[in-house]
Amino acid sequence: MDEQFDDIEKTLWEQMGKLPVPEPSKDVKIRFHAMLDTFKAEEEAKKEGIFQILLERFKTIFAYKSAYNWAYAMILIVISSGAGYFIGKPSSEVAANSNEVKRLSSEVQDMKQMMMLSMLENPVATERLKAVSYTQELNNVDDQVIDALLTTLNFDQNENVRLVTLEALIQLADNPKVREGLVQSLLTQESPLMQVALADAMVKLQEKRSVKQFKELLRKENLNDAVKGKIEKTILVLS
Amino acid sequence: MLKVKAGDLDKMGLLFERYHRPLFGFLYHTTGQVAQSEDLVQTVFYRMLKYRHTFSGEGEFRTWMFHLARNVVNDAAKKNQRVVYEADITPRSERTISTPAADVQLETKQESEVLHQALAKLSPDHREVLILSRFQELSYQEIAEILKTSEGNIKVKVHRAMKELKSIFLKETN
Repeated sequence: MDEQFDDIEKTLWEQMGKLPVPEPSKDVKIRFHAMLDTFKAEEEAKKEGIFQILLERFKTIFAYKSAYNWAYAMILIVISSGAGYFIGKPSSEVAANSNEVKRLSSEVQDMKQMMMLSMLENPVATERLKAVSYTQELNNVDDQVIDALLTTLNFDQNENVRLVTLEALIQLADNPKVREGLVQSLLTQESPLMQVALADAMVKLQEKRSVKQFKELLRKENLNDAVKGKIEKTILVLS
Repeated sequence: MLKVKAGDLDKMGLLFERYHRPLFGFLYHTTGQVAQSEDLVQTVFYRMLKYRHTFSGEGEFRTWMFHLARNVVNDAAKKNQRVVYEADITPRSERTISTPAADVQLETKQESEVLHQALAKLSPDHREVLILSRFQELSYQEIAEILKTSEGNIKVKVHRAMKELKSIFLKETN
């Protein structure tokens, strides 16, 4: 008791300690335990609720993932299958086919060349004409073919064959050997028709080296007048 | 209480057994109502469970309990919009514990009635510190912790409360 209190206050303080306090009813305990049980149940439910929510979200995440994974897997399978079908497999086939075609094409070319060369030696003029025409179908004309054509141009008995051969050689004028052969052929040709045709060819090819040959040709005594005039004009054009 | 805080809610039963009477006493002296005090006991223990995480374990459990009890009383007062303390309609003679001697009993009853009335007329602040210090026998230090004030302030408050109680008591007896 505080020493500052007077006697009355001390008495009151003592009496307060004796003031009766009613006992709480028994219901208080029962209600408390009911409340405690309810609270515990709520806490459990809350925990389960949180757990359930987390579980559901977890499942949802995985479900979505799974679905996407399946979708991605399917897309990848389709893409890879397509790629494999259109790129992988055909590439080998195409390559094989391409090689095969090249091989066959090469064989055909060789056969055509052989056939052409053999046909150029055929006694029948029409066959030789056919042979010359085959040169247009040849992709790669080698020296052997050029030699054969130049020989035909210079020495074939048939004028028509020689004219067709000249046309064929003009198509191959990018080859220096062809140009050289054409220039040299001027002095070989006896036929006025061939001489005029060659003169046109030289103008067409703008082959200035042929001027010398033309001038030499002009010195020939039996030269056709028409050819002579043509050659003179050609010399003027090329000079 | 630390075990309750850790999740062992069954331990709250032990705390109830140990503290529900002092708590009821505090509430009864504060409100003057038996039934309301019993309801508030439930509320205080419910809040102990609900806010168990706020118990730090540094102070006494009792201090924390009375702190919660004060808040519960204040909340109830705000909710009911009425004066917290009301005299119980049950005759006080029926609620007191009988004593052996009849004449002494009568005298005690009379004095108790007057003192009880005087307490009821005390200002709430003064009544509160007297309840905590005298009825609950808490130290000034503990009361200061509950009321969030200094020990010296509590000492002054108790002193003034006793002065006020004496004044009222003397008026009632005269």
